[in-house]
Amino acid sequence: MTADDLFGLASGAVLPGWLILMLAPRGRWAWLDLVPSLILPLGLSALYTGLVLAHFSASGGGFGSIAQVRMLFASDYGLLAGWVHYLAFDLMIGAMMAAQMDKMGLPRLSQAPLLALIFLFGPLGAFLIWVAQGSLRAVGKGGAA
Amino acid sequence: MRNTAKPLWPLAGFSVAMMATGLVWAGFETRLFQDALVWIKPFKFALSFAVLFATLAWAVDKMSASAQFTRTLRWTVAILAAAFWVEMIYITLQAAQGIGSHYNTADLYHNVMYAIMGVGAVSLVVGTGVIGWAMLRDTGARVHEDLRFGVGVGFILSTALTLVTAGALSSMAGHFVGTPPVGAATIPFFGWSAAVGDLRPAHFLALHAMQAIPLLAWAVQGRVSARVWIVGGSAGYTALTLALFAQALMGLPMVRL
Repeated sequence: MTADDLFGLASGAVLPGWLILMLAPRGRWAWLDLVPSLILPLGLSALYTGLVLAHFSASGGGFGSIAQVRMLFASDYGLLAGWVHYLAFDLMIGAMMAAQMDKMGLPRLSQAPLLALIFLFGPLGAFLIWVAQGSLRAVGKGGAA
Repeated sequence: MRNTAKPLWPLAGFSVAMMATGLVWAGFETRLFQDALVWIKPFKFALSFAVLFATLAWAVDKMSASAQFTRTLRWTVAILAAAFWVEMIYITLQAAQGIGSHYNTADLYHNVMYAIMGVGAVSLVVGTGVIGWAMLRDTGARVHEDLRFGVGVGFILSTALTLVTAGALSSMAGHFVGTPPVGAATIPFFGWSAAVGDLRPAHFLALHAMQAIPLLAWAVQGRVSARVWIVGGSAGYTALTLALFAQALMGLPMVRL
């Protein structure tokens, strides 16, 4: 498979995970909850592991400077590994944050835009949820945390 | 049935989180829109939402269980939540692109979004009135009956005044009456024009009747004359709001600086 094929496959694979987080009932079927929180991130992590072991050293890059990081992402496979890293971790964080928002008593309607933010701009969504949670706890309205 | 008040506190929390987003954004932003840094508008809306949702959440917390667990209230809160996210996300997205949200009718998409924001704004305002009405009727609410009266009157007054002032705002091409010269004086923090008519001060007072009147009621609760104070205060507040509104419509600034 080409890097483009793998890119399409990985990007498509996370969509059911996000749909489950946004729309499916939680806590009713354990296996369904595991799709976004474990099964898909596990599969993507496996893909990442293969890509990074096979292509990291050839890139000649490193983590020490912007120039080195740019070299990591110079090849399609390096870029693909980075992208799969995003996909896997964003979904995993999305599942964790959804569980946190359940505890805050936030209905699914209000969770959906935040989950979409994590999907698109990972840390931005996480930042919002953490600050919201912290400010609610500060005034004693943190819910069953 | 779920406690209908519960999502209101998280909405206040997310409004505070959006304020924090604006502050971290401020550290990296240099673009101006109509003389103001682009992060300021989303920040002001987030602050306004934080005050709105904290006030509503407090009020619903004080209601009796039978008043809290109604279908009307549950739907009202759901609609408020949807309106909040649509407004907040669109305003932030537009600001991040350095372009307008309100009054942006550049193309079909922006026209439709401006219209949707209008529906959202009306929903927020009417939802406040619905919660005020529920409070007014809830004889079992866990507050002094004078305060309950003040909350009901304040929320409903806020709805009425906001529909008038914001209605006028939306029927115009912008919030100014007149054209402020580039770099003209503005009122600190608020950013309202101190050179030409600006409808935002009246809109601000209209929105915050929902805090002002309940605070007045809280201060006078238990007095024999409490209701007179609340009704009189509401009348005075209405007069002040309408005076600022008329002043702006005549093209005069709230204060000239």
